[in-house]
Amino acid sequence: MAEQRVIVVGGGLAGLAASVRIAEAGLPVDLFSMVPVKRSHSVCAQGGINACNEVARQQGYSEYEHFDETIYGGDFLADQHPVLEMANWAPNIIDLLDRMGVPFNRTAEGYRDLRLFGGSLFKRTHFAGATTGQQLLYALDEQTRRYESEGKVKKYEFWEFLWPVTQGEGDEKRCVGIVAQDMRTMQIRAFRAAAVVMATGGNGLIFGKSTNSVICTGGAASRCYQEGAWYGNPEMIQVHPTAIPGADKLRLMSESARGEGGRVWVPRKKGDTRRPTDIPEAERYYFLEERYPAYGNIVPRDIATREIFDICVNEGMGVDGQNQVYLDLTHRDPEYLTRKLGGILDIYEKFVGVDPRFTPMKIFPAVHYSMGGLWTDYTPGDYMPDVPKPAHKSGAPVPVDNKMGHGLTIGAPNNMMSNIKGLYAFGEVNFAYHGANRLGANALLSCIFDGLCNGVSVVNFVRDSGTPGVDGLDQSIYDRVVRQEQEKHDRLVNSARSATGDEAYNPYRIAKELGDEMTAASTVVKTGERLERALAKVAELRDRYAKVELCDAASWTNQSLSFARATGDMLILAEAMLKAGLLRKESRGAHYRKDFPERDDENFFKTSIARFNPQTQQSDIEFVPVRAPLVLPRARTYGKADTKAGKPQPAAAHA
Amino acid sequence: MNERQGFLDRHHFLLRRLHSLTGILPIGVFLIAHLTTNSSLAWGKYGLRAEGHGVPLVDGGVMYFNKEVAWINTQVPHLLLIEITLWASILFHSVLGVYYATTGRSNTARYPFQDNWRYTLQRISGYIGVAFIFYHVATLRWGWTFLVPGGTQWSHEFSASTLIAALQGSTGGWTPVGLAVSIAYFLGVSLLVFHFANGLWTAAITWGLTISQQAQRRWGVVCSAVGVGLMLAAWSALGAVFVGDYEAARAVEVRMLKDKYGEDHLNEVLEKQVPPHAAESQASVLSTD
Amino acid sequence: MSGAYAHEYNAETRRANRQRAKPGRSIILKIKRCDGPGKPSRWESFKVPVEPGSNVISCLKYIASHPVTTDGKRTTPVVWDSGCLEEVCGACTMVINGRVRQSCSCLIDEYAPDEGDTLTLEPMSKFPVIRDLWVDRERMFHALRRVKAWVPIDGTYNLGPGPKESPEHQQMRYALSECMTCGCCLEACPQYLQESDPEKWDTSFIGAAAINQVRLFNEHKTGKRLKADRLEALMGPGGITDCGNAQNCVKVCPKGIPLTESIAAVGRSTTVHAFTRFFKGR
Repeated sequence: MAEQRVIVVGGGLAGLAASVRIAEAGLPVDLFSMVPVKRSHSVCAQGGINACNEVARQQGYSEYEHFDETIYGGDFLADQHPVLEMANWAPNIIDLLDRMGVPFNRTAEGYRDLRLFGGSLFKRTHFAGATTGQQLLYALDEQTRRYESEGKVKKYEFWEFLWPVTQGEGDEKRCVGIVAQDMRTMQIRAFRAAAVVMATGGNGLIFGKSTNSVICTGGAASRCYQEGAWYGNPEMIQVHPTAIPGADKLRLMSESARGEGGRVWVPRKKGDTRRPTDIPEAERYYFLEERYPAYGNIVPRDIATREIFDICVNEGMGVDGQNQVYLDLTHRDPEYLTRKLGGILDIYEKFVGVDPRFTPMKIFPAVHYSMGGLWTDYTPGDYMPDVPKPAHKSGAPVPVDNKMGHGLTIGAPNNMMSNIKGLYAFGEVNFAYHGANRLGANALLSCIFDGLCNGVSVVNFVRDSGTPGVDGLDQSIYDRVVRQEQEKHDRLVNSARSATGDEAYNPYRIAKELGDEMTAASTVVKTGERLERALAKVAELRDRYAKVELCDAASWTNQSLSFARATGDMLILAEAMLKAGLLRKESRGAHYRKDFPERDDENFFKTSIARFNPQTQQSDIEFVPVRAPLVLPRARTYGKADTKAGKPQPAAAHA
Repeated sequence: MNERQGFLDRHHFLLRRLHSLTGILPIGVFLIAHLTTNSSLAWGKYGLRAEGHGVPLVDGGVMYFNKEVAWINTQVPHLLLIEITLWASILFHSVLGVYYATTGRSNTARYPFQDNWRYTLQRISGYIGVAFIFYHVATLRWGWTFLVPGGTQWSHEFSASTLIAALQGSTGGWTPVGLAVSIAYFLGVSLLVFHFANGLWTAAITWGLTISQQAQRRWGVVCSAVGVGLMLAAWSALGAVFVGDYEAARAVEVRMLKDKYGEDHLNEVLEKQVPPHAAESQASVLSTD
Repeated sequence: MSGAYAHEYNAETRRANRQRAKPGRSIILKIKRCDGPGKPSRWESFKVPVEPGSNVISCLKYIASHPVTTDGKRTTPVVWDSGCLEEVCGACTMVINGRVRQSCSCLIDEYAPDEGDTLTLEPMSKFPVIRDLWVDRERMFHALRRVKAWVPIDGTYNLGPGPKESPEHQQMRYALSECMTCGCCLEACPQYLQESDPEKWDTSFIGAAAINQVRLFNEHKTGKRLKADRLEALMGPGGITDCGNAQNCVKVCPKGIPLTESIAAVGRSTTVHAFTRFFKGR
């Protein structure tokens, strides 16, 4: 039998970690990416990566508490066993990255330095300046390059994943390869693989402007979804509290700015036109610190976002009457700031032209991360308490130690496999770890954890699970999908030749309207009525998209074709997000329904699963119980002060 | 890389480093000695110490310079060996240097940074320097008088006067071609001094002596000082030649020869040494004395 | 034409421009276009409305949805490479007003503050054009393979932490490690020339970016193990000795990486290595 190959789609942290792990185990990897993998969106991650460490441990912290925080932070929507395994692996992952040469910041004695991050009272975030994601990605990129030069990894850069190739129906459906297109020559061809790992990241572009890179359309996930992969918790979209407003994108201002002491405030007096540095301390409203005395500025993201939104939109206290608040670091030593946060402060200075070491930054929330993603399965590990545990108290004995295999059965072939056999989802495109809200500095962890831990599952699936190889499969299975994609491609190219020039059918226009609608209806504050309107709008956009017209008929490096094609897929995913949001009649984590402001565990302690219905071309949403046998849900208050109790919650989303 | 790669490729590093080294040793060291000697045309009077009392400044320069040159040409051991080593080094440095220079494309129009200008100038000065050195050595050392305006044959007994004649264009003062040659000398020498000073600076980076920007800046100051010093030496030598007078210099030189060989042997020496074109003025020199 | 851009956009000028810039004005984007490898290039101009905060990317996005030139001619959208839009991925590098930089961080207010001002965009000249402003920088990644820019770890199993390191040393490595392979240093380098034949990549000048990576990995305790290999790779044709010390690299590096220091440091290593090799044998 010929050598079985594995395809990894996406060259960010998850894709590279998977490639390295799978190649190391001896299976050859074909790595597909729309960009040179070193330019993947993971470079944008700034703040750090969480893991229990010796200092925190001696202060009473533990892997278990990291797990508990993550579940609590995610408002109990995450499947619990994978999160436990991830938290237990975290220290080892840091060690590995350290060995790979990641320049983690150091203490005077030479140990890895730590910083405070949202959702924890312990310093448990490891960091490399303020470009941790970049540094981690580079380390994995280097290891991948090493395998590439040994011939164990073959890169297909500037290749776009177009469609998964599947065989069989229902439970027996199996992914046996992909169809991809060279973005330069426009050649479309099929690639066989015994397993396919989707590591294609998030979908911020559905919201128009976000903190995401221009490649984060969610197109790849949507294509798997349309081919029958289930999509979990699509309505769970994280809006990051602190971003720099911009014309082309909203640039992230890392949570580490708050972790390193950054304070969020607005002038107490509405319409105060004084320069921020001229406003005395007593006349500043540090609303996060006042409203959340325990966590202060480092409350989790969804809470910080809603409070900033509330201050600006409901209270009208935004700086200069606009939707912006101050994020202030000027009380810290400029040299310290440069050492710890240089990268992000430079970004602010470059794009705004003001030095945040001396003038408070102006920031506002922006769409940042998708907790939802392709639904994945797993085999739980050996830890199974009789009853779920209540909140864990720091320093108390842990119910389970930090050994591997308590959370997941390591190497079980179905770990992080979608409902389609042999189709895996790793990293942000995987819905598994973050529930209804992701804690800061857990994203990098979940990406690398997926690649390292569950890469083994991929290997086992290909090698030992008795799955037949793919080289014997009939070529027609592949040709059919190539034909489907070629026809789609030709239709789009031809649309440029027969264009009416009507703006309504311009793909960029359609995408922009989609982004505006999604941002208004489905981000910080949602209502049933608004979501329904948005669904109608998306339906209208889909009708218009059916007649989409390109401006470029080129058969060489046709970028607008790629964008137009993704726009169609974005519309389908957007519909799933809206529909699940509409049906989830409660508020949980990032999903805040003004008309249902409370969490409703009775009806919605459930994962929403979207299934694409090929007949209706619509999403069917089903709610299934969260796989949560380890921790008991509890109220998620983050020690909120009573001052605001009973106060009406934030009003409708901005128009 | 395959084993069939050429000699140049196999010894790429060695050749590059030798190229760098030869620029300093022996070429740079020689340049310092050469320009110092030549500059004595300007300050020689003070170098003569007691001997220089009462001697006019110009005459003093001629005397000292002439003495130095005579010493080099008659006293330095293995002169030919030294010269051949030097010429070989210059040839090596020039040929490789020109080849290396062709591997770059100057872009000062888009990136008009000072360092970039020096990069470009280093190459231009190299090209011009090669041509200049060839002309300089061929005419004044190898005696290719057909390239010298006025056909002056340089000789170490009459080092100053023949130099003046060669650069001014004739034994009787400035000619248009002489002016051109002098300008070429001015440019050639100035560019070579720059080439050396700048090369000294880059060599420290190439070899890894100066690593930090601060070190590079500091070494830059040192190299600038070396450059300015050598430039002053070069310009003062040329200045002395430009303002010099063939007849006056020759008078000094003849007097020195007389002192050295005595009246009786003087004619022998002169016959052997005097350039053909200067023959008619010989009588007058002798008669005025 | 490049001479027209010879003036520096220093911080002062940029700040003054930003303060002077009026919202709601239009500027002209003059773009050097090319339909593909081997095709001739041409210039096209576009009138683009701008607002405070507009950058080259937002202008190109505008053109993508309004591909009409100043002559009223309908054309194709401009093709360009981009990614993060916050100057950490390196994708959107191009030559703007004659100087290489990332287009995402090029704010219109700072560079074209007045109504009708022209901004000129060209693809990088040291890499083969794929289409319009998009170039193929594979050679840069090849260079990273050429110098083995990785730490040769034993594998991804749990083997404990990496080497301890002083904060000073970490800061030094971090500065070197910020290189995003954008190619600015190569575009501005007079010694780095376009080479579209991959066969010749190993003998053409490798440029500052990869030399800097050699220093980075030779500074790591485990990375050092490949030090000799890396130095040897840099001692042949197209290696570090081909550097002409024009030092443009360090001035155009968007990350402020001390590239010239890296070149000098690796220069020293090669010197030492050459002597050791000569006297000790391999």
